[in-house]
Amino acid sequence: MHSSKKIVVLGHFGVGKTSLIRRFVTDTFSDNYKVTIGVHITKKLVEIAVDREVSLILWDLEGTDEIESIRDSYLLGTHGLVFVFDVSRPSTFEHLGNDLKIVRNKVPETPLMVVGNKSDLVDKAELKTVLDENELSADFLTSAKTGEFVNELFLKLATLLVGDA
Amino acid sequence: MYPKMDEKDKLEILKDILLADEHEFEEKISRRIELLEQTVHEREKLSEKVNPIISHQLDDFTKNIPETLGPTITETLKKQIKINKDEVVDALYPIMGKMVKKYVAQEMKLLSEKMNNQLSFLSFFKRKFKSGVTGQNENEIMLGDLATASIQQVLLIEKDSGILKASYSKSNAMDEEMVSGMLTAIKSFVEDAFNQRNQELESIEYELYEIHLQSFATHYIAVVISGNYMLSAKNKLQDIIFDFYNSFMAMNLDLVFETKNAQKSIVPVPKSRIERELAKYFGHAQL
Ligand SMILES: Nc1nc2c(ncn2[C@@H]2O[C@H](COP(=O)(O)OP(=O)(O)OP(=O)(O)O)[C@@H](O)[C@H]2O)c(=O)[nH]1
Ligand SMILES: [Mg+2]
Repeated sequence: MHSSKKIVVLGHFGVGKTSLIRRFVTDTFSDNYKVTIGVHITKKLVEIAVDREVSLILWDLEGTDEIESIRDSYLLGTHGLVFVFDVSRPSTFEHLGNDLKIVRNKVPETPLMVVGNKSDLVDKAELKTVLDENELSADFLTSAKTGEFVNELFLKLATLLVGDA
Repeated sequence: MYPKMDEKDKLEILKDILLADEHEFEEKISRRIELLEQTVHEREKLSEKVNPIISHQLDDFTKNIPETLGPTITETLKKQIKINKDEVVDALYPIMGKMVKKYVAQEMKLLSEKMNNQLSFLSFFKRKFKSGVTGQNENEIMLGDLATASIQQVLLIEKDSGILKASYSKSNAMDEEMVSGMLTAIKSFVEDAFNQRNQELESIEYELYEIHLQSFATHYIAVVISGNYMLSAKNKLQDIIFDFYNSFMAMNLDLVFETKNAQKSIVPVPKSRIERELAKYFGHAQL
């Protein structure tokens, strides 16, 4: 059995969307920051079980501080979403609740993973307090640099998508 | 002078297009009715064992199918059309498209007939000019002009998600799933940028290729073409696309009207079947 799923990765500028995808697809990392313009598309074939393959078509959107301004047409027909924020930059998660509400509004009832990235830059215990204080919760705390939880994130989403197919 | 089409000719063309498809539609409905009858019939056999009285009623019921079921079928059709609006629009689109296209083609022919003399003079002049600049032999250029357009690849893509449904390819040079995504992103971007909801991006030039995009309600078709892609080739290609899409939607309609499993109205057509159809329509097509 083979199926294809569209996954949109979105969030504020420079939070590591492209880096997460690169880590997942090619298992590499670069400190060199190249801004994404428009949208970049990559594909990764994952085997989520024996004889169960999924093509993840990853739509890496350009970052924006105005989640509202994201082109609706990029979100059309998507099967899953990954919202990324940068745990080392509060400005990228200050309005997380509201940002997610906007996304939910645009794409209701689509599986969504909330991801705090660059976990290698902060102290784990401190991070937990900060998140708790702000009543924020993330599905995964990842590091594109070390690779921590990156595969887990995409595999979890892939499994979720095929499960409800 | 090109003889002007009179109303009768136009009507003839219209009838041609309309009747052919009507016929198909009729067949489809009668197949559905057969299926319904069959279901009713099976139920009848079952109830024979259980309750002869019901069986008798059923007997009457089957006899009266035209009166009793007729309205139900119409009702079901109406409901299906409401629920699956996109699919129905999709099914009609190729028929309408062909109709409009044929009419426009006639008008274009008239126009080009008038311009023909002028055009051939111009292209002769252009060839002369080209050969002066490139040092190529004039005949070579003429041959180059004639290099016919040929279909390299066809992708059937879900419009919203950009997910590849099925493909036909002469050479497997690029990752089709990724290309489908990229084309969809480009298409969305351009269509959004010009803020024209009802206008669709029609073609993209990519290196030596031209990618022709034909949009329908739920899907679009991208055809990668090499060689000299002229208006006449475009015309032929559109016809092939419409024909294919028509048959693709017919496959879908079959399933939309699936009666045995009423709650699951749309069952996806297997990819292998669509790909066979794609190869059939595009594989040997001459542009
Ligand atoms: N330390 C650390 N740096 C990271 C991590 N992920 C990304 N970066 C760095 O952060 C910068 C931005 O990363 P990108 O992946 O380009 O971010 P983006 O979200 O795609 O950015 P835009 O496309 O502009 O929105 C780069 O310099 C990366 O090297 C991480 O997990 N840890
Ligand atoms: Mg990026």
